[in-house]
Amino acid sequence: MSNEPNPLTALSEAMAEAVAKAGAATVMVNARRRFPASGIAYAADLVLTADHVVERDDDISVVLPDGSQLKATVAGRDPGSDLAVLRLERGAASAAQPAPQDPRVGQLALSLGRPTEEGIQASLGIVSAIGGPVRTGRGGLLDRYLRTDAIPYPGFSGGPLVDSAGRVIGVNTSGLARGASLAIPVGLAWQIADTLAKHGHVRRGFLGVRSQPVTIPSTQQKALGREQSSGLLLVGVEENSPAEAGGLLVGDIIVAISGQPVTDADQLLASLVGDVVGKPVPVQVLRGGQPTVIQVTIGERKE
Amino acid sequence: MDVQAFSDQIADALSDVNRRVQRSLVVVHNGRQGAGAGVVWRQDGYIVTNHHVVAEHRGPFTRRAAASSHSVTLPDGRDLPARVIAKEPELDLALLQIDAQGLAPALVADSRGLQVGQMVLAVGHPWGQVGVVTAGIVSGLGSAETGQPPRKVPIIRSDVVLAPGNSGGPLVNAAGGVVGINTMIVGGDLGVAIPSHMVEAFVERALRGAGEVAV
Repeated sequence: MSNEPNPLTALSEAMAEAVAKAGAATVMVNARRRFPASGIAYAADLVLTADHVVERDDDISVVLPDGSQLKATVAGRDPGSDLAVLRLERGAASAAQPAPQDPRVGQLALSLGRPTEEGIQASLGIVSAIGGPVRTGRGGLLDRYLRTDAIPYPGFSGGPLVDSAGRVIGVNTSGLARGASLAIPVGLAWQIADTLAKHGHVRRGFLGVRSQPVTIPSTQQKALGREQSSGLLLVGVEENSPAEAGGLLVGDIIVAISGQPVTDADQLLASLVGDVVGKPVPVQVLRGGQPTVIQVTIGERKE
Repeated sequence: MDVQAFSDQIADALSDVNRRVQRSLVVVHNGRQGAGAGVVWRQDGYIVTNHHVVAEHRGPFTRRAAASSHSVTLPDGRDLPARVIAKEPELDLALLQIDAQGLAPALVADSRGLQVGQMVLAVGHPWGQVGVVTAGIVSGLGSAETGQPPRKVPIIRSDVVLAPGNSGGPLVNAAGGVVGINTMIVGGDLGVAIPSHMVEAFVERALRGAGEVAV
């Protein structure tokens, strides 16, 4: 037995490097009564963390990897995706690097957290599943989520799930599903963080309809010009709603919004998140079996 | 990348490490049900294990007479009686001596150079199955309070799966060096190990003490 480098020691050193790199952007978040949780430096003065670990709006502090403690305020929250953005009193953090590629099931994943001042903590696993869209227990809709078998230690919520190069592939949270630890994919998390930093909350669109999924007969699919076996039948249109103003009628079957097919309520909700609020979008419906496009200006859902 | 070749290289390296570690791995019997693990620390019969593996049980259902007879099973199958020559409950460490020479001592690595994320392997006898290897990474380098009065002891946390029977066994790095002794002084089924530099210091203290008694 020698101490020469072998594939095992090379792998070991690569993982330690990944932890060191991502750990430099993983911070401790003091914003709840029990032990602290973790956060990701998203910019020099912004920390992305899990909403459920930010139990108070005042007296929040963030401890950086070098041990310096900074005051922080809540810049924005999105309970629906269990994300929150904190603004540091000054830009002192080194920002995390997001992974450029989409995660794949089976790839190595390191889960990181900094719930104590004793240093970075990590566990090893793989990306076990990629799922979504899913309705969260907190009234939101998550387009996509990651599942990992890396151990979620106490206080890991808000910390990063990273690849073998230390690049962020997701934000860990145990607050979205009972008894399961999920990660919000970095693309989605960064997008939500952008919105939270700018607006303080995620704007969710409002149509003002009640609907139920129905099967689309093959003759009507032919008229539609594509294979789409289901759509959303409107069974109610609220008065003075964006839907009514745009001219949607009870009996219409919504089949697409902005060119994206809509086959169930989750897809409808997903199509109403983000920049569409306040803008006219083309809503394709089957009316009397014939496809028709109606422009509807999307309103904003008040929580 | 040739995944098959890479996988083979990893497996080769792992079995090298495993072979090396198993040569210094013993089973520690304490006269009760269940057994612990131990590591040959020196060729002349000194073996490190957990204190709780050799501690006398004061429960109502254990015969104390039986609890004081210890033995060690070596990798070559020999069963030898062992004497407890030193123990430090707050570190959960004990030093045993058997009458044997020319044993294969463990390769000890300096735990002060450990980094979170490095690969580690635990070798022991979980649930009585001898010589089982489990793999993971160093999860954290921190401390735990143990003993009465409480004392802060540095510990290595890992995500390696441990079970009863891993106690007293080695936690080794990717090069096969012992970086810690697995213990169960704190915290569930997640791996906690006493760093090897603490073990070295314990053994040194113990042997100095034993020497003084002999003089």
